[in-house]
Amino acid sequence: MFDMIVSQAVNGLVLGFLYVLIAVGLSVIFGMLGIVNFAHGAFFAIGAYLALTLSREFGWTAALVAPIVTGLIGVFVEVALIRRVYGKEPLLGLILTFALALFAEAILRLVFGAAPLPFSPPRFLSGFVEYGPILITKYRIAVLVVTVFALIAFWSFLRYTPFGRIIRAGSRDAEMVGLLGINLPIALSSVFGIGCLLAGLAGMLAGPLWTVNPSMAAGAIMPAFVIVTIGGLGSYAGAIIAGVLVGVVTSMTIQFHPDWSSAAMYILMAIILLVRPRGLFGEKWERFE
Amino acid sequence: MSSNSSRHAIKISRRALIGGAGSVVLASATASEFGMPYIRSAAASDPIKIGMIYAKTGAVADQAEYMAQGSLLALESRKNSLLGRQAEVIWLDEPTSQAAQQNAERLIGEHKVVGIVGGSLSPSALAISAVVKKAKLPFVAPNAGAIDLTGRLCNKYTFRLQPPADVHTRVLAPYCAGLGKRWYLITAAFAFGQDIKRSFTEFAAANGITIVGADEVPVNTADYSSFILKIRAAKPDVVVGGVPGSDISTFLKQWNELGMKGKIPFAEIAVGATDLWGVGPEAADGLFTLNWYHKNPNNPPEEQAMAASYEQKHKRPAADKAWMGWMAMNAMLDSIEAARTTEPGAIVNALENWSVQRGGVKAGYRAFDHQMVNRLLVVGIKPKITDKWDYFDILAETPSTDREIETVFGGQAQSACKMDRL
Repeated sequence: MFDMIVSQAVNGLVLGFLYVLIAVGLSVIFGMLGIVNFAHGAFFAIGAYLALTLSREFGWTAALVAPIVTGLIGVFVEVALIRRVYGKEPLLGLILTFALALFAEAILRLVFGAAPLPFSPPRFLSGFVEYGPILITKYRIAVLVVTVFALIAFWSFLRYTPFGRIIRAGSRDAEMVGLLGINLPIALSSVFGIGCLLAGLAGMLAGPLWTVNPSMAAGAIMPAFVIVTIGGLGSYAGAIIAGVLVGVVTSMTIQFHPDWSSAAMYILMAIILLVRPRGLFGEKWERFE
Repeated sequence: MSSNSSRHAIKISRRALIGGAGSVVLASATASEFGMPYIRSAAASDPIKIGMIYAKTGAVADQAEYMAQGSLLALESRKNSLLGRQAEVIWLDEPTSQAAQQNAERLIGEHKVVGIVGGSLSPSALAISAVVKKAKLPFVAPNAGAIDLTGRLCNKYTFRLQPPADVHTRVLAPYCAGLGKRWYLITAAFAFGQDIKRSFTEFAAANGITIVGADEVPVNTADYSSFILKIRAAKPDVVVGGVPGSDISTFLKQWNELGMKGKIPFAEIAVGATDLWGVGPEAADGLFTLNWYHKNPNNPPEEQAMAASYEQKHKRPAADKAWMGWMAMNAMLDSIEAARTTEPGAIVNALENWSVQRGGVKAGYRAFDHQMVNRLLVVGIKPKITDKWDYFDILAETPSTDREIETVFGGQAQSACKMDRL
């Protein structure tokens, strides 16, 4: 039994990091723009479809462009639609992004059909590694490495670059950043684009693991919301810890109580919110009070 | 001040008007493209309306798309005409079983349909069945496999094409038993999955087979790796699946990814060909029951003609679900024509007498439970897949004669249905 627990914990860790990648983009968009982006899962699905199409046409290397294209689509959506609801009723943002999610799913269904499409990992990442009780596929190891690298790179970008400082400052007091003469609309578009890029990257990585179909966003968006809520809205570190927690708790529930596996993360969220209503790393943000 | 306000108000109204008009045009164009033909055809005068409830989103949306296309093809082949009048299909969604129930009520109350075809998943079909029982309107469910639909919860107005889980089990379980005596069950946590679990567990108990593990999984599970690790540790001889729609595609992809393909045989009843097409040739694996296969040389000529029409129209082969949608709608339309009226009781009587010859079997709905008796295919994945639309080798067609029907489908004595009256 101990072997199975170790095996499931490692598996949950990998799954959790994939969830983190989806959730971080959502968290950053909320933190900076104050928008609860229901369309985040749609960008995840768009990333998967773009990666699939590019890999079919030009090989797996071309699929690496998919997250960037997804980010650019995100920038376009922000400029065309999202920025119109800044500073307005939060409900407007919810309705707009929810409509966007439905619209994106319908477009994917129209273009690619409703049927699931086959998408396999690159050949050099097929196969698996066994170490004692732990079984992990090479592709999942690659997903873990890419995710950790992306998270460190994004954290460094936020922490050490002037643009990152603008984003962090803007997330606390956007008006003041504007008053300092910084072109805030460009910063906001970039943040939304980066959030979508991360969602697209997660979609590209998840495509060969999960099933690529127009409804695949549903499998990503709910864990992402739960992770952001558990970690604390807008908290980068919170999202990472919450993602790993959700992944491990889900795996352990499958081991001991499989029929509860989809409810486990919600129970975890309820318990954490009872103890810490703002989430694990949630802070009091003046602009959202 | 009032003048300024007024001018401002007019300016906003104009923008809103232009935006609103644009939205309506876009919404109408989008709706007609996305399979909502009723928006365009609602203005037609007094047509006969058939309700259709198939999923437009979710895990079975791909299967539902094929079923809807098959159903629409059945009406188109009659030039959208019934009893000498124009006929049209009104297609509503089934995102949840509650929504399916509400949409069935809408079809009956608002659109005045004369019958309903649909219910992609068992919970939806059971919900629709309860509505039609109350409203006294004929309903044909092509895909739902829960035993209760034509068993304990049967009613005079509900007919079902898909054989229930226990029938599929009687066909597939002997093949599984031939592969080994230690089974692991992984089934979805809803009516059909639970029926599969029960049927295979009963078969196992009666045939000296040990169930070494049984997991119920939520619908729309995105990652099965933890379940697969459990299966691997249990070392079964066979894994019996019962996960619906695109969930089986996800499972088999991860089954292959974790190196299980070819190591432990996998079997599942009542799959859709599209689910396996979505897995891809590298990962596709297993032994399945199917209702129909477009490459089966024993398909009757009218079904071959349907398959040709479908492929010509949709530029892809007709999957089994397209046939199921076509067959269910055909039964409804044939019965309306045979009844010579849209009166529900007459259509129900005609449905009870409806049948078609399929090889050695006369396919039709049994009067005592309204379950269609028909032949099933046992199929295995081809050792080498060279055509992206041709994954299966047909291993058996069962039952192959009318005499075998009762062995496979059971008789009235085994049925839990207490049929009510019109």
